[in-house]
Amino acid sequence: MDLQKRERRLAYKLMAPAMVVLLVVALYPLGHVFYTSFTDRVFAGARDAQFIGLENYHRLLAVTVEELPPVIDEETGEQQIDEETGKPVYERPIRVLPRQPHAYRELTTFSLFGSRYVLGARTPNFIRAIGNTLYFTIVSVFLETVLGLLIALVVNSEFKGRGLMRATMLVPWAVITVVSARMWEWMFASSRAGFFNMLLDRFGLIDRSIPFLTLRSFQVPAMIAIDVWKTTPFMALLILAGLQMIPQELYEAARVDGAGKIRRFFTITLPLLKPAIAVALVFRTLDALRVFDLFQVLLARSRYSMASFNYYELVANRNMGLSSATGVIIFIIIFIFAIIYMQMLGVEE
Amino acid sequence: MVNFRERPVKSILFLLMLAVIIVYLLFPFYWAINSSLKTESQLFMTPATMIPRDPVTLEFRPYWGNYIHIFQSGQFVRGLRNSVIVATLATLLALSVGTFAAFALGKLRFRGKTASLYIILAMTMFPQVTILAGLYAIITRLPLGTIPGMIFSYLIFTLPFTTWVMTSFFKDLPIEIMQSAQVDGATPFQTFYKILLPLTAPALVTCGLLAFIQAWNEYIFALTFTAIDPGARTVPVAIALFTGEAAMQEPMGETLAAAVVVTVPVVVLVLIFQNRIVEGLTAGAVKG
Amino acid sequence: MKKLLILMLSLSLVLFFGVGNVQAEYDVELTIIGGAVGEEFETTVRAAEMYMEENPNVHVEVLDSPDSADERLSLYLSFFEAESPEVDVYQIDVIWPGELEDHFLDLYEYGAEEYVDMHFEHIVENNTNIDGELIAMPWFTDAGLLYYRKDLLDKYGLDVPETWAELEEYAGIILDGEREHNPDFEGFVWQGSAYEGLTTNVLEWFASNQGGTFISPEGVITVLNERNQEMLEMAAGWVGDISPAGITAFMEEDARAIWHDGNAAFMRNWPYAYSLSLETDAFEPEDFGVAPLPAGEDGEPAATLGGWNVAVSQYSEHPEEAADLAFFLAGWDVQKMRATDASLNPTIPELYEDEDVLEANPFMEELFDVFVNAVPRPSTVTGDNYSAASSIIYTEVHSVLTGEQDALTALEYMELELQDLTGFEIGQP
Repeated sequence: MDLQKRERRLAYKLMAPAMVVLLVVALYPLGHVFYTSFTDRVFAGARDAQFIGLENYHRLLAVTVEELPPVIDEETGEQQIDEETGKPVYERPIRVLPRQPHAYRELTTFSLFGSRYVLGARTPNFIRAIGNTLYFTIVSVFLETVLGLLIALVVNSEFKGRGLMRATMLVPWAVITVVSARMWEWMFASSRAGFFNMLLDRFGLIDRSIPFLTLRSFQVPAMIAIDVWKTTPFMALLILAGLQMIPQELYEAARVDGAGKIRRFFTITLPLLKPAIAVALVFRTLDALRVFDLFQVLLARSRYSMASFNYYELVANRNMGLSSATGVIIFIIIFIFAIIYMQMLGVEE
Repeated sequence: MVNFRERPVKSILFLLMLAVIIVYLLFPFYWAINSSLKTESQLFMTPATMIPRDPVTLEFRPYWGNYIHIFQSGQFVRGLRNSVIVATLATLLALSVGTFAAFALGKLRFRGKTASLYIILAMTMFPQVTILAGLYAIITRLPLGTIPGMIFSYLIFTLPFTTWVMTSFFKDLPIEIMQSAQVDGATPFQTFYKILLPLTAPALVTCGLLAFIQAWNEYIFALTFTAIDPGARTVPVAIALFTGEAAMQEPMGETLAAAVVVTVPVVVLVLIFQNRIVEGLTAGAVKG
Repeated sequence: MKKLLILMLSLSLVLFFGVGNVQAEYDVELTIIGGAVGEEFETTVRAAEMYMEENPNVHVEVLDSPDSADERLSLYLSFFEAESPEVDVYQIDVIWPGELEDHFLDLYEYGAEEYVDMHFEHIVENNTNIDGELIAMPWFTDAGLLYYRKDLLDKYGLDVPETWAELEEYAGIILDGEREHNPDFEGFVWQGSAYEGLTTNVLEWFASNQGGTFISPEGVITVLNERNQEMLEMAAGWVGDISPAGITAFMEEDARAIWHDGNAAFMRNWPYAYSLSLETDAFEPEDFGVAPLPAGEDGEPAATLGGWNVAVSQYSEHPEEAADLAFFLAGWDVQKMRATDASLNPTIPELYEDEDVLEANPFMEELFDVFVNAVPRPSTVTGDNYSAASSIIYTEVHSVLTGEQDALTALEYMELELQDLTGFEIGQP
């Protein structure tokens, strides 16, 4: 009992510095964001902010579905057919979507049971940004984990020049983020001054240069490729540290028991790596969900991530309330991911 | 593992894999070096060249001007110094504060553990721009200079990272080590300091390196906090403030040259830490 | 290992306390924040020195800030959000007086009448808010220009295009000819990425085709009309034709990269590209020229007004002195020095006749007409909504250029959203 008490007291003492830092540096900025998200505050605005409840959240997330009535040809009394495409013509979404009390814009149109509908949102760009970011996060974090594990295993084996390899492996992560985004933008340039167009051209694969960064289907995959390059070392290094902490005796014992290499990997390595992988996943996901530089530098305002939407909403539109609300939404999504990881990998007791 | 005489095919495959990994990781960096050795005209050449070539004669002709320029500008050299200070201190602070907390979170029994873990993580769950305004208000009100202010603000992202990573590694250590130490009469803190800490050396070093690089690369906070104090600017800010000869001209070559120069010390740091320190720490643990 | 840590720690501490800089005492300390670019920054420092010579009791410190307008604005906004008194005089973009009016002093209250008359009238108007307050003094000006390759026009027997239709035609002719031996050749490069630069390009298309300036100075939204639709459809047709398919991601420097390598017949850009174009290996200095941008069939050429002003912070502790410094910076002597030494285009018409200025910058004489007729963006009438208004404009136009929306729908949305944002009336130009 006494021991437990002493332990608890020590724990609180050890936690104290972290909590002090948290209180001094983080409490106000974080609380400020939550508070501002319920107001119509303007960034560096002269007017006093008004409390507007959940309006910012409604504005960001509200969606609506409306049916698009067919356009009737006055002469024939039947639905008009587009002469060029041969498809039936429906009313344009802009005429159908509600304007009062809030304006909705087209997100996408779809057909269901023979009718045509439009899905509208108050802020379609943010809904799209959520989609882009989740897609980006899931694919890039998955690839980084697999590649990171592979690299860590390779680097963990004994060979000459291993130290040098470990250092070179960290290069992409060490390149200053702001510059690395610019460097990739330059490599993806839409003329043969860019590396990729030059390369494709040299192998005779293209007639005209490809404007990579304006091809919509290519945009997010390109961001993923760059992010995987840049942050796989982060994963690899964290997993490597996990590997180094697995006691060699465990492998010896398994070898004596006649376990093969693959079996040893799945029965010893992977289970013992779980906590390291879980933490790496939490931080990679957290960064991926907040991805900003890549989208801002390479795609600017043609396609948003949640954080770049947040940035432009704050800086260009000076809408601090709305931008804070996007911050809170990002916060909640990250929280959900973190809890899922910890539960799934059974790291929590 | 690489043993040509015994297993030639396997060794070759292994080397091949190594080669692929190296090219994948290093080629973009090579491209940065290549581009940093070009003049603007060479950079804009179509098609782009794998090595710097003269636009007219196509002879190999590297241009060192970008490197000369960045070292002539006092900003960049001063930025290097500031970055070393800020990133080192932010890392050491985060490591020590974080490791203390991590030991408690990973190995001691007390209430509110999980909650504390998530509260600490919550510090870094907002996009940076969102908390910038609030943070700026705090930092300017604290009676600190610009550089200490930056160091403290960097704890917002380095502290959760070090705490979480170290917690997971402390958890990993078998509880028997602690128990046997306690039987020997060591206090929990002695156990932590003398036995557990050296055992987690690989994690400690890795964690420190990754946190260091994060702090080293941070840009938005630094830009805002040092705007009125040019003497305190860090490298990313100094690079962002590089300009061409005319407004709007992007000094691509110089920017890349600076990025190359800045990456080198980090790699050297990794070399030192990976080999010497990890081995030193682990050796100490075995002896103790 | 411990030793190394201690060494590093103490090293950092030594460096750390070595950093503080000591400042001498003056009666008044003023700080000005502005551009970081080489000569632009140096001439600002020189101007500050000139001022300190005349006013020995004042010390002026010059701070640089990022060259990207977006980043500079967000930095300024952070200062204003914190009501920081650290910076007294701000260098602000020509589109910011409306946006930032709440944070700057009315310079008329500090005796600006004495100085404003010598500056370009349209810039002074641009810098005056709806309440008649003068938010900023003009400092240097900029305007969109058409760069063309003389040698190529001669080769194909063409003149400098005066209408957009001519530009399209000529660019096509040159493109067809040059592509045969140069696969990288493009006809016309401009700024088509979704950012402020696109708004400036679109303003030039619309205004030169008598389609209005998005929002009139009286506060009437004029975007939705046939002329603008026609112009927008024409520009959308350029993408992937006379202009590269990647133009929808182009900013100033992307356009110049292609031009600089000799791979474009025409370019829309700011005057900064002029002196840089003299340095290329791809063509001779006498092989290129600048001209006013083309116009619509029955319109007048329009060049979007760019450039920078100086404004005095509300939160300054020395407003009198700061205003005096702003007047000095915007005055004849400093502008002349900056024009001759750094090629910054003056906002004082008489300086375009000054021998020293013209000797240093022969092109300024040619460009005078463009500068004097430059069209401001509707940044003053929209007040602190300008950035939001502009982002509506370029987002909608961008979606037309990339083919996601047709021109009519985009203009309809542009009108609706501008109305929702500003509450202004809708009308015809």
